[in-house]
Amino acid sequence: MRTVPEVIGEESTDVDRPWVVIVWNDPINLMSYVTFVLQKVFGYDKEKATKLMLDVHHKGRAVVSSGTRERCEFDVYRLHEHGLWATMQREDA
Amino acid sequence: MGRKDPLQRTGDGFQLSLPAEDRRVIVDLVAQLRDAVVEGAGDERFRRLFPAAYHADPEHDAEYHRLMHEELLASRLDSLNRAHELLGRDIHSTTLAMTGEDIDSLMKVVNDLRLVLGTLLDVREDEPVVTEDDPAFPQFHLYSYLGWLLEWIIRVRMGD
Repeated sequence: MRTVPEVIGEESTDVDRPWVVIVWNDPINLMSYVTFVLQKVFGYDKEKATKLMLDVHHKGRAVVSSGTRERCEFDVYRLHEHGLWATMQREDA
Repeated sequence: MGRKDPLQRTGDGFQLSLPAEDRRVIVDLVAQLRDAVVEGAGDERFRRLFPAAYHADPEHDAEYHRLMHEELLASRLDSLNRAHELLGRDIHSTTLAMTGEDIDSLMKVVNDLRLVLGTLLDVREDEPVVTEDDPAFPQFHLYSYLGWLLEWIIRVRMGD
């Protein structure tokens, strides 16, 4: 039996460009909480998590992970579980 | 509400120390949030609990929520139920023994309460300065209290 890919088009033409997960700055989440969640969800050390948190705070957003669409959806889900404002998109060309 | 150190590490876990009145307030808030989320998770008040995953792509976002919303809702309710059960236990005692998993559930729930309260109060980047004669003072006071509690939980959980 021939297997038909479920997603064609965008996936096949854009296959080299990975997806990225972005955490956005928001006025409610505590900086310490964002740092803690990045450590817990991604296993980052405190230095890396703090740097990403400061990027979120000062630049308004930071890319916190990248990979396949499925991987990024899982990461976004875990961040949403912890109340962070996270979205995903194709990495900028 | 009390301002004594609310959380300490113990040999095999943690000890939460809150006045019974504080605990009653939080238990009541957790129950209110749980019931409200069950009734209407799509309500605008809860937009920070169920945010967009694809902010510039409504089609992918709808698909994501179709697949993941129930799971995210179940996860939230699991933490809310766990925190409600924990904090409601032996309600007259000022101390409560907790495991690391208990603390993580409590942390998520306290953050969820802040997200909803902060959304309702339209909190902006700077810490709001609200005087006691403001009708919303009790809500801002509660928001501040939850922030104080969350900071403590994070500090002790991270071992700082």
